Amino acid sequence: MNTFKIAIIATLAALSIVTNYMLIGVSNIKLMDFIVFVGGFCFGPFAGASIGILSWLVYGVLNPQGFAPLVWLSTMLAESIYGFVGGFLGKSIGSIDFHGQRLKLSIFFATVGFLPTVVYDLVTNIAYASTFNVPIVVAVFTGAPYTVLHELANSAIFGVCSVPIVVALGKIVWRQET
Amino acid sequence: MTFLENKWFLVALVVLCWAISASFMSGYYYLQYNDLSAKIKGVIISANLGINYGNGSAVAWFNGTKIKAGATLFDLTKLLVPVNYTESSLGVSINAIGGVPNSPKWWMWWSWSSFGWNFGYIACDKYVVGENETLLWYYQDVLTYPPPPPS
Repeated sequence: MNTFKIAIIATLAALSIVTNYMLIGVSNIKLMDFIVFVGGFCFGPFAGASIGILSWLVYGVLNPQGFAPLVWLSTMLAESIYGFVGGFLGKSIGSIDFHGQRLKLSIFFATVGFLPTVVYDLVTNIAYASTFNVPIVVAVFTGAPYTVLHELANSAIFGVCSVPIVVALGKIVWRQET
Repeated sequence: MTFLENKWFLVALVVLCWAISASFMSGYYYLQYNDLSAKIKGVIISANLGINYGNGSAVAWFNGTKIKAGATLFDLTKLLVPVNYTESSLGVSINAIGGVPNSPKWWMWWSWSSFGWNFGYIACDKYVVGENETLLWYYQDVLTYPPPPPS
C-alpha cells in the first residue's frame, strides 16, 4: 500500500466521519456508506473496508447517541461490506466507459446502494437485539421504517452521486498513476 | 459488463429492492397490528340499545351500556334482555327477545346515524358495536322489505 493510497484512505475516512457528525440530527440518512463504497470502488476492497472500519472506530466511540460494544463492533464490520462491494464492483466495471450509459449505471448503483444496506441493517439489528435482549424478529421489523428509509436514502445517494464521483476520482487516480 | 447489457437484470434488481422494502414494511405493520390489538383487548366502550316491542308502549332504552370493544349487537342484546336464538352458518337468527317471539311480527334491528335509522341487513352477531353507537330492536311487520324505519 503506497503513501497515496494511505492518504486517500485517511482523507475519505475523515470525510465520512465529518459528514456523519454533520448529519447526526438526520436519522438514517448518511453519506458514510457512499464514501466507503466509493473508496472501495476506486482503490480496492481492502481500502474501502478500511475506510468503513476506521470511520466507525472513531464515530462509534465518540457518539452522542451512546456506546454499546456489540453494536459498535457489528456496525464497524457491517460498514466494511460497502467497501468490499465497491472494491469488487470497481474491479468488474471500473474499466468500462461510463459515457452513454449513465442512466443504466445510475439505476444499477441505486440498487447496489440498496442491497448492502439490507445486509448492514440486518446485522446491526441482530446485534442490537442481542445486546438489549429483544427478540430478533421484533428488532428487525420494529425498526423497519428506519431500515427502509436507510435503504431508500442510500439508493438515492448511490444512484445520483456514484457516476460523477467515480468518474472524478478515477481521473485523480489516473493522473497519479501516470 | 454483460449483465448491464441486459435490461431485465436491472429490472429484476429494482423489483428485488421493492420486494425487500415491502416485506419489511408488511412485517412492521403486522407487529404494530398485533401490538395494538393486544393493547385494546378488554377495552370497555359504551353503547345505547333500545327495544321497541311494537305495541305502542315506550321503547325500553338501555343507555350507556358498558361492553368490551369488539362485542357484537348479539352480545349487547344478550347482556340486557333474555334472547331466544338459533345459530346457523349465516349467523345468529333471533327467535324471541324479552319473551316476545317472531310472530305475528318480526324482530328487526336498526342503527342510528346522522341520516336517521339504518336497517340492519346482516345477522346481529356479525355487527360490531361502535363506541357510543345507538341501536334498536324493533318488533315490526315485514310485509314490505326493507321494512319501514322506526318512527
